[in-house]
Amino acid sequence: MTRVLARLDGVVRRFGSITALDGAQLELRAGEVHGVLGENGAGKSTLLNVLGGLVRPDSGTVSIEGVPVTIANPRDAWTHGVGLVHQHFKLVPRLTVTENLTLSIRTAHTGWRLPLADVKERARALMASTGLDFPLDADVEDLGVGDRQRVEILKALLRGPRVLVLDEPTAVLAPPEVEPLFELLRKLADEGRSVVLVAHNLEEILSIADRVTVLREGRSVLTAERREVTATGLAAAMVGRDAAVPSRVAESTSVSNETGGSPIVASCASAHVLGPRGEVALEDVDLEIRRGEIVGVAGVAGNGQRELARLFSGRTAPIRGAVDLPPRIGFIPQDRIEEGLALDLDLAENVALHEHRMTDSRLLDWTEIRASTERIVQDFDVRTPDTYTLARALSGGNQQKLVVGREIRAAGDLLVAENPTRGLDVVATGFVRALLPELVAAPDGPGVLLVSTDLNEVIELSDRIFTAVRGRLIEIPADARTRDSIGSVMLAGTV
Amino acid sequence: MKRPGPVVAAVVALLATTLVAAGSLWLGGFDPLQAGAALVRGSVGSPTALTITMVRAVPLILTGLAVSLAFRAGVWNIGAEGQLYAGAIAAVTVGIGGAGLPALILVPLVLLAAALAGALWAAVPAFMRVRLGVGEVITTILMNFVGVYLAAYMVSGPLQEARGIFPQTDPIADAAQLPILLPGTRVHMGIVLAVAVGAVMWVVFKRTRFGFAVRAVGSAPKAARIVGLIPVDRVMIISFLASGAIAGLAGGVEVAGVTFALYADLSPGWGYTAIAVALLGGLHPIAVVGTGLLFGALGSGAAAMQRDAGIPLAWASAVEALVILSVLAVDQVRRRTDA
Amino acid sequence: MPESLALIAFLEASVRLGVPLALAAIGETITERSGVINIGLEGSIISGALGGALGALWLGGAWGGLVVGALAGLFVALVFAAFAIGLGTDQIITGTAITLGGLGFTGAIYQAEFGATGTALTLPTLSEMPIPGLSSLPVIGSALFDQAPTTYLAYLLAPTLWYFLFRTQWGLELRAAGEEPDAAAAAGVRVRLVRFWATGFGGLLGGIAGAHLSLAHAGTFTENMSAGRGFIAIAVVVLGRWNPLLVLIAALLFGAASALQFQAQTFGLDLPYQLFLAFPYLLTLAALAGWVGRTRAPAALAVSWPRRR
Repeated sequence: MTRVLARLDGVVRRFGSITALDGAQLELRAGEVHGVLGENGAGKSTLLNVLGGLVRPDSGTVSIEGVPVTIANPRDAWTHGVGLVHQHFKLVPRLTVTENLTLSIRTAHTGWRLPLADVKERARALMASTGLDFPLDADVEDLGVGDRQRVEILKALLRGPRVLVLDEPTAVLAPPEVEPLFELLRKLADEGRSVVLVAHNLEEILSIADRVTVLREGRSVLTAERREVTATGLAAAMVGRDAAVPSRVAESTSVSNETGGSPIVASCASAHVLGPRGEVALEDVDLEIRRGEIVGVAGVAGNGQRELARLFSGRTAPIRGAVDLPPRIGFIPQDRIEEGLALDLDLAENVALHEHRMTDSRLLDWTEIRASTERIVQDFDVRTPDTYTLARALSGGNQQKLVVGREIRAAGDLLVAENPTRGLDVVATGFVRALLPELVAAPDGPGVLLVSTDLNEVIELSDRIFTAVRGRLIEIPADARTRDSIGSVMLAGTV
Repeated sequence: MKRPGPVVAAVVALLATTLVAAGSLWLGGFDPLQAGAALVRGSVGSPTALTITMVRAVPLILTGLAVSLAFRAGVWNIGAEGQLYAGAIAAVTVGIGGAGLPALILVPLVLLAAALAGALWAAVPAFMRVRLGVGEVITTILMNFVGVYLAAYMVSGPLQEARGIFPQTDPIADAAQLPILLPGTRVHMGIVLAVAVGAVMWVVFKRTRFGFAVRAVGSAPKAARIVGLIPVDRVMIISFLASGAIAGLAGGVEVAGVTFALYADLSPGWGYTAIAVALLGGLHPIAVVGTGLLFGALGSGAAAMQRDAGIPLAWASAVEALVILSVLAVDQVRRRTDA
Repeated sequence: MPESLALIAFLEASVRLGVPLALAAIGETITERSGVINIGLEGSIISGALGGALGALWLGGAWGGLVVGALAGLFVALVFAAFAIGLGTDQIITGTAITLGGLGFTGAIYQAEFGATGTALTLPTLSEMPIPGLSSLPVIGSALFDQAPTTYLAYLLAPTLWYFLFRTQWGLELRAAGEEPDAAAAAGVRVRLVRFWATGFGGLLGGIAGAHLSLAHAGTFTENMSAGRGFIAIAVVVLGRWNPLLVLIAALLFGAASALQFQAQTFGLDLPYQLFLAFPYLLTLAALAGWVGRTRAPAALAVSWPRRR
């Protein structure tokens, strides 16, 4: 009879008019790895934040080892033995790793002296027993993403949690890096802890979890042992109905044949592009994109994909080599909210952000722009009272849809999309994934450069696939379009 | 339907300010009601009072517009005071040096010189912001001090009157003076100019690509650059310089329309009051014309308050600060309830 | 011999002029390290100056005035904090308003109490307190160690606050709040509370700096006597790279530069006196232009926290 270490019951939490959690339930047992699944907006992160003390529930109970507790802030969570490893790392870049660890070890007895040496010792001991390894004296800002995650995990472990919670830990890892992480999690669970893992990648969860819980629209709709469920069953539970996941793979071969003779709509030759810190992010890259085709570029963030997207959307110029771009380009940036929207302007003004370049005159025709906005709102199902609403007032998903819609409409010749479906709910995701092939199939349709960290998306939608490895593009041959082989290319740097 | 709010917000802010201001008077042993009566009497209580209010409003409207433009672009131009003085110095120099030219040429020349000088004064902090990454708040404030001292130097040195007695310049040529709008009063064409600048600014913001670019840069510079491919730095510099030019124009208008000469303490802090004018008007050019008049009334009323109720003049600046704080607070509350 | 007398006089003037800057700048360093830029520091200083004057008159002594001045500066900073941290209003504009309000209210109170064109106030002053032993050191002795007691406060605070920032847990938390408040909050730091403390502390020191101005420096109060020192102090924080020790040195260097102008006058340089008045501001501009690119401010400086959606 395994012990229940933590239990959340009937948790309700609203943010303004949005109900993030609507009576969610979760039971965590000692020695298990528990997977929490759900689409974007299903409430996974919120539920974990309740457990970790970052968010207080409006109602519901949290109990630790059978005792109801109140977790009002992160400190309460630690006191009760819950350690949270965040998806967006909560590390101070300009401090060293040791300082970051010391910052979070705030015990009642610390007083005013800085126990750096003490923390280092404890960290080293833990690193020895878990196999985690990273430099303790480096500034966090100098560490790569993988190392930062290891620091986050160690940070949580230092407090000796009985329950370890990880929010989307695999999102930043290349497929081959997931294995070592899962081994560590297995080890930690075997030592008697309860390890909770949030993800929306079915395969990964199925490979590690002992039990799974599926959240949908803020409620727990399914809790079962691993052996009791199938991928299809889980997917159905996540979505709520039999959603046909659109797949273009079957058609892809025929389409790529057709586009063989299409005109090249954008290209670059021997392009060198610098990254934000002046380093060479893209090295000697040649790429041609034709009308009517979707070129997909897969890869873990940080290998030059952003610079490639910026290059082809005309936002960056190469320091060497050439790039040839058409006039009508749409660009869906990765940080759609920060880089794609002016939150304090209304919807039409946000559309004008792009539109204003389309005219030579000094004046803006607001009637035309507003009409254009209305069309986008309708076609892309943006939920809003009118086009005079400020962008800030829309929900996250609708904000994204506005950006996606605006850029797709503007992409007469070329569409550059960075992670276009990240952050969209399942319906919107399906909509966009179905739209892209339609877009390029139309007569005189644009070419699409799809840069995505979602490997499934790239495989499903692209006519040709490349992977970005340390600034170089490597084309994936047509017969090697699987997660495993692409993943090994990403690691090895060669086919 | 357009989003309601800015007018309500301004009214609420004004009410809050009035309450706190009255409270502070009461704490200081003054009679708020008596003070209020004096304020009303001195500002709008008689035709004379009204004309004084209008005259006092002109520099406030212009500097208020200057500050609005800058704030809209995301540029914290606190330097309207120094830019105003730079414009006044230029205006008086051209106004005296251009004696002999006909009014049709001299007046525009004087005003143009004032605007250019203001832009030049803003160019230093603008350059430091865009090229060197130095925050413009401190640099524009520092330039204010320099501007005031420069003017003080000018009027007791190179530009001092021929008689050499007082620290002030000779009067400008008659042809350089702004024509009077309402005969028998001191209300001059400057008020028309101020309203015209407001109207032009309104049209620019509402209809032109550049105006939209300014708003985008001030509201969301990242999106402006990445989506709109707007040259953010260039837009900022142009807005900064234009803001300086309008503030400089304010100084020139005051010289050419009211004082006809320059002396050391030309401005009782209009450049700073302009911030309150701009914020209360929600940075909207037409509203700023209105709030400029409002603060002009506060200015003319303050003199009456001192005379009739013994309230120190400096208290008016305190009230301006209260207005700014109230507007900020009300805006924050609005934002919290929005989401 | 006369050269060394001139040198000593110059050094004395440097320290004397630098102290109010140093106090205000050291306080602002702590404030900015927590992520808050307090443009209202000028308001704290002028309130401290008036508070010092009134306190000294009412309580019958300069020390009483110092306490009142400090409290006045603290009060102004807390009003700023209520808006900028409590409500989350824009720090820059709020700070500007606080300064305008501070200058206005102190001017009004002064005018109400002493009349608009009153004769200059004479105040009980904070006289110099020589430190036995140290003040007899050749050349630097009288310059550094025979000054008003607020000077010694500055000397003590700089290393103490350095130690606080970089060698204590509280300092670590404060720095984290100023660099990455989300991370600090996740670690359990009460970010807004820390910022309140830091801002109040900065205002307290600003008030002391102001009281020093009226009680030790000028011996009287005049309207707007702070003369922009609060803004210069903010620039000095940048020049001192948000490090209390360097900030102290930078402030004293500024004092030296200001003292230079008096030396220039005694050398009979026939420059207009307004140039001397304008000199500190021009110097600050030049220093900012020359130095800023190479330093990094606390990453979360001037950004309201928590962020809106």
